[in-house]
Amino acid sequence: MPAVKGDGMRGLAVFISDIRNCKSKEAEIKRINKELANVRNKFKGDKTLDGYQKKKYVCKLLFIFLLGHDIDFGHMEAVNLLSSNKYTEKQIGYLFISVLVGASSDLMKLVIQAIKNDLCSRNPIHVNLALQCVANIGSRDMAETLCTDIPRLLVSGDTIDAVKQSAALTLLKLLRSSHDLIPMGEWTSRIVHLLNDQHMGVVTSAASLIEALVKKNPEEYRGCVSLAVSRLSRIVTSSYTDLQDYTYYFVPAPWLSVKLLRLLQNYPPPEDPSVRTRLSECLETILNKAQEPPKSKKVQHSNAKNAVLFEAINLIIHMDSDPNLLVRACNQLGQFLQHKETNLRYLALESMCLLATSEFSHEAVKKHQDTVITALKTERDVSVRQRAVDLLYAMCDRTNAEEIVGEMLEYLETADYSIREEMVLKVAILAEKYAIDYTWYVDVILNLIRIAGDYVSEEVWYRVIQIVINRDDVQGYAAKTVFEALQAPACHENMVKVGGYILGEFGNLIAGDPRSSPIVQFRLLHSKYHLCGPSTRGLLLSTYIKFVNLFPEIKPQIQEMLRSDNNLRNPDVELQQRAVEYLHLSSVASQDVLATVLEEMPPFPERESSILAKLKKKKPASIPEQSDQQKEHRLPAPQMGNSTTEQQPQQPAAVQVSVSTPSSTGSVDLLGMDTSPAPPSANTVPASSGFLVDVFDTLASSVPTATTTNGLDIDGLSAANNENFKKFITKNNGVLFENDLLQIGVKSEYRQNLARVGIFYGNKTSFQFTSFVSTLSTPGKLTSALSVQPKPVDQLVEGGAQVQQTFNIECVEEFTEAPLLNINYVYSGVLQKLNLKLPLFLNKFLEAAEMNSEAFFARWKALSLPNQECQKIFKAEFPIDVEQSKAKILSFGLSILQGIDPNPENFVSAGILHNRNQQIGCLVRLEPNLEVKMYRLTVRSTKDAVAQILANLLEGLF
Amino acid sequence: MIGGLFIYNHKGEVLISRVFRDDIGRNAVDAFRVNVIHARQQVRSPVTNIARTSFFHIRRSNIWLAAVTKQNVNAAMVFEFLNKMVEVMQSYFGKISEDNIKNNFVLIYEILDEILDFGYPQNTDTGILKTFITQQGIKSQTKEETSQITSQVTGQIGWRREGIKYRRNELFLDVLESVNLLMSPQGQVLSAHVAGRIVMKSYLSGMPECKFGINDKLLMESKGKSSLDEAGRGSDGFGSKSSKGTHFGGGKTSIAIDDCQFHQCVKLSKFETEHSISFIPPDGEYELMRYRTTKDISLPFRVIPLVREVGRHKMEVKVVVKSNFKPSLLAQKVEVRIPTPLNTSGVQVICMKGKAKYKASENAIVWKIKRMGGMKECQLSAEIELLNTSDKKKWTRPPISMNFEVPFAPSGFKVRYLKVFESKMNYSDHDVIKWVRYIGRSGLYETRC
Repeated sequence: MPAVKGDGMRGLAVFISDIRNCKSKEAEIKRINKELANVRNKFKGDKTLDGYQKKKYVCKLLFIFLLGHDIDFGHMEAVNLLSSNKYTEKQIGYLFISVLVGASSDLMKLVIQAIKNDLCSRNPIHVNLALQCVANIGSRDMAETLCTDIPRLLVSGDTIDAVKQSAALTLLKLLRSSHDLIPMGEWTSRIVHLLNDQHMGVVTSAASLIEALVKKNPEEYRGCVSLAVSRLSRIVTSSYTDLQDYTYYFVPAPWLSVKLLRLLQNYPPPEDPSVRTRLSECLETILNKAQEPPKSKKVQHSNAKNAVLFEAINLIIHMDSDPNLLVRACNQLGQFLQHKETNLRYLALESMCLLATSEFSHEAVKKHQDTVITALKTERDVSVRQRAVDLLYAMCDRTNAEEIVGEMLEYLETADYSIREEMVLKVAILAEKYAIDYTWYVDVILNLIRIAGDYVSEEVWYRVIQIVINRDDVQGYAAKTVFEALQAPACHENMVKVGGYILGEFGNLIAGDPRSSPIVQFRLLHSKYHLCGPSTRGLLLSTYIKFVNLFPEIKPQIQEMLRSDNNLRNPDVELQQRAVEYLHLSSVASQDVLATVLEEMPPFPERESSILAKLKKKKPASIPEQSDQQKEHRLPAPQMGNSTTEQQPQQPAAVQVSVSTPSSTGSVDLLGMDTSPAPPSANTVPASSGFLVDVFDTLASSVPTATTTNGLDIDGLSAANNENFKKFITKNNGVLFENDLLQIGVKSEYRQNLARVGIFYGNKTSFQFTSFVSTLSTPGKLTSALSVQPKPVDQLVEGGAQVQQTFNIECVEEFTEAPLLNINYVYSGVLQKLNLKLPLFLNKFLEAAEMNSEAFFARWKALSLPNQECQKIFKAEFPIDVEQSKAKILSFGLSILQGIDPNPENFVSAGILHNRNQQIGCLVRLEPNLEVKMYRLTVRSTKDAVAQILANLLEGLF
Repeated sequence: MIGGLFIYNHKGEVLISRVFRDDIGRNAVDAFRVNVIHARQQVRSPVTNIARTSFFHIRRSNIWLAAVTKQNVNAAMVFEFLNKMVEVMQSYFGKISEDNIKNNFVLIYEILDEILDFGYPQNTDTGILKTFITQQGIKSQTKEETSQITSQVTGQIGWRREGIKYRRNELFLDVLESVNLLMSPQGQVLSAHVAGRIVMKSYLSGMPECKFGINDKLLMESKGKSSLDEAGRGSDGFGSKSSKGTHFGGGKTSIAIDDCQFHQCVKLSKFETEHSISFIPPDGEYELMRYRTTKDISLPFRVIPLVREVGRHKMEVKVVVKSNFKPSLLAQKVEVRIPTPLNTSGVQVICMKGKAKYKASENAIVWKIKRMGGMKECQLSAEIELLNTSDKKKWTRPPISMNFEVPFAPSGFKVRYLKVFESKMNYSDHDVIKWVRYIGRSGLYETRC
């Protein structure tokens, strides 16, 4: 058969049509086998094939491969095709190589050589084919060999636009696969200037490349901002007729616009005012255009327009600086909320979620609350409903919390199963965060358990118990509500758990009412006992033994219940042990011992809500970084203590003192923070029980004797305190004060914005102190800056003994003064008074931060406003020593960043200051001058006053 | 029990769909298509479980038959039924093909209604079915006829109607055997067995009772000497013909049958107690018996392969085939299939006898010999050229397989007698013309190389 030269390959066409005509798979395989044998025969090597034949057979192999059969020969022929001068042959060769030759193949060297030749070719078509192949394979070897050729093509003046376009995209691909190999330094400015290119195609592909480069190295490409803005403004202001080929359904260059807007999101708002105004104008124009009537009814038109619009809104949110734009964006999104297009509604809700976190637009978002709630209820698409839930969560604040929580609760009953758990967590968090009235909180959570019990995770009900225990005022209400809720014929196991726990603790508060008398409570709980799992049963057993303490009158019933075989011989070892131990405890121990052992649970130390932690873990992306207000919960002061020690409260069910629970696994980390494996008995518990023993002792030997008033340090602060005080700037532990009678030691721990300060009072005499009272006062502004939760200290301090008092302190905002510790006690009849400054400094809440020089300088420059900086020049108090200075800075809480300052003598540090509402970045530069023994200290921070305070504190160190 | 039955074409389109039980939903049809017919990897197991539903399938050329059930049924029964159904369809309209099924779908539904009742298999005997499922349009039967059919189908001897009359009473008996073999390159038999069938065609008048004697060791021994004379008489009727089929093994008189099964007409109680095979034969063609033997098989052919790889680009293959039976017999349709490597680029074949050709589409050299006498030897040598490949996988060397047909029973099975007793009609055993034929075919007859 004579070969048909030219475009068509007859043999290939025949083969393909044969395959298509095959009736069965077997027939197809037969045909393919035959063809493979034919090609093998042709490629045997003793025949010379012309380019056309090679192309034809390579094509057939390619087709067979794409049908899903293995091809293990013919690679050499394909590589030969690469050196052909004919376009079709080269193209087929490259196609085969990209599809079939792996990056690790032995042939790769040959292929790369061929590519190199083609890249140098004068024919732009050959260059483009080679570029395409590189982009398709993008192996490391290629990147190594071609890392200079491709950038040169990209910026060279004599390459044509189409080649530049491909070169930019090829480079992007290589950059993604092996970014370390591409040295871009020398090309930077020329690549950035591609944004000014005449040809829109080149600009579009260059924009993608530049964005990838910017992600890696923002500083180097900072110049692209102004170019991007001017390019964007030219596109936005142009009429749709200007851009000819690049107008897509009346929208000028939508892809390029979106890319440019994305590019700009890598940088903070431009500093140059002219660029800034130009950008704002652009964004406004885009928002204006959205208002215009559509130029076409086609869906492509609106899609392209909306794509640009949404990206613009993203940029507005990213800049977060222009209230006007933010509000306009919000209004625009508000219109989309009711759009008939589902995707638009979804996107609008998602963007609004981000808008809600900005302080400028939060209020504007709240206007759409009703619409969002309707969306939640009527939307058909579950993913859109999910966004609506997110948005409601984000827009919630104190003013609308009650309504939003109510709506979410109502919706929860019919909500889709896939979003229920998350909704439950969100409701729980909102209810806790914005609770004005704790009865409301208790109501909400109990409702939650009632409506969606299965989806209420452990954390949620732990939390409600913590709060009820910590808040005296809701305990009675909680007991009553729980009791009522339990009366429902079928209630969820979680409800039984909460009920059991709360009634066990506070059942006595409602026992006065005959409708909820002890025996009724017991019967009610016990009616659920058999329907519950072992863990709940264990908890209920603990509740019963607590009842024995609370209501001695029902002890016989409880003992009988414990004695039943069902409990005493329960196959579950945990239940059996509890039953045995409790039964014995109730029959052996006296009422006093019972009262001590089964005392009410102590308040829980407060921490970050574990529910929030769980929600974050569940959906890391969906919780936007809402400044920092989300990170903490705003509970009214009293229980908002803080504890930083890794303390592991006992399992709620466990009784306080050493009623050993055999299950070591049973200890649940109530607060959801990862704890180091702490001993099962948490440290507070033995301490407090030790106390009890002390108290009994002192009561036994009642010694109150004559009292004579001693001299008072009336002048406020006690001497000897001041010098000690300063050393605590860099130290956490040490002796704060000491005189003949008393030694006061401090041990403090810090974690972000939380502090736990332990004060140890050591009685140095051999007589006891009586009426020992110590309080912490926070004068003036300090009251609002710190939230303090003191633990009461015992009134008696034995001779030679040491007592401890713990303060849980939270930093709400920056402060300068230290809180005052007032100590009063009576020693041998004389009242002693001490006023001490508690060594609590702002720098304690600093956390060292590491960053590279680019990031440092970017931030340093961003903090250039006069009030963000504080500079001090002062004489060195101590000899200038590099190592000592380093140690001081590190213990101050800052990091030492190496290789940032060109002068190695200088210290550059960074840190993040945590307080309740925000995180404040602090940058410090300390320049010592050895000749004149002077320092120059520069502190910059995102919040005005902080720089000043830190500078003052630092000054004292050197 | 069978919950439903589907027939698909090769594309997975449903040609016939019949659901007998409610627990099989419509989606079962799709489940089988998606998970078996269109499965990414070829499904080799004939039983597939999808979502607690079992699919039993067999394939005939491009047609898939699948029986579906949710219950724990006897799988062997289901396959027996499916095969029977194929047989029935073949007897009605010939080859099972998509076109035939489409053209006869009314008939197929009619058959299905008859042979499967609420998922329980019913009478699948072709001869009986043909009496009341006809293809001659609608012909209303007389009351007499219908009642006759009813009494016959439901009666004791459902497989034969009364009042059959032939001018010539004839009887054809075929012993069909297929030999399966796997042999090592050194000539050691790794596994071998024979599956045999006895197919009869009877054209006898009245209601004759037949007695059938074979050289099964068990039957012969149990009968012992008491019935020796009877056996001797029986061989008179047959002996002259069957001696031709005596296999080459010679002196052996009885064989050990591993297991056997009979057509429903055989009286099993008599077989158990008296060790004799007696039956009233159906009219026309039917399979009387199936059996299997594994011992003392005389292998008709021996293949001796010799494969030599000369470097990376060449391979030499030499295959010798020896026939191992009486020189007076002729084997037919002998075909040897020698697999070639997947990177074969060219083949030169030389053979003394027959025709050999490299078939690229099957990746094999196919060597055909039309006729071959016993105790002969043929040789083929081939030179295979290989192409360099990027793949370093070694060739797995599939076994050489063979097909043939020989005029004897490789198992040594012999028909000793077949006697016909008909008391009412006026003919005796001697008047019946009896024909017997032995055919040994190849099953999977493979030699490793």
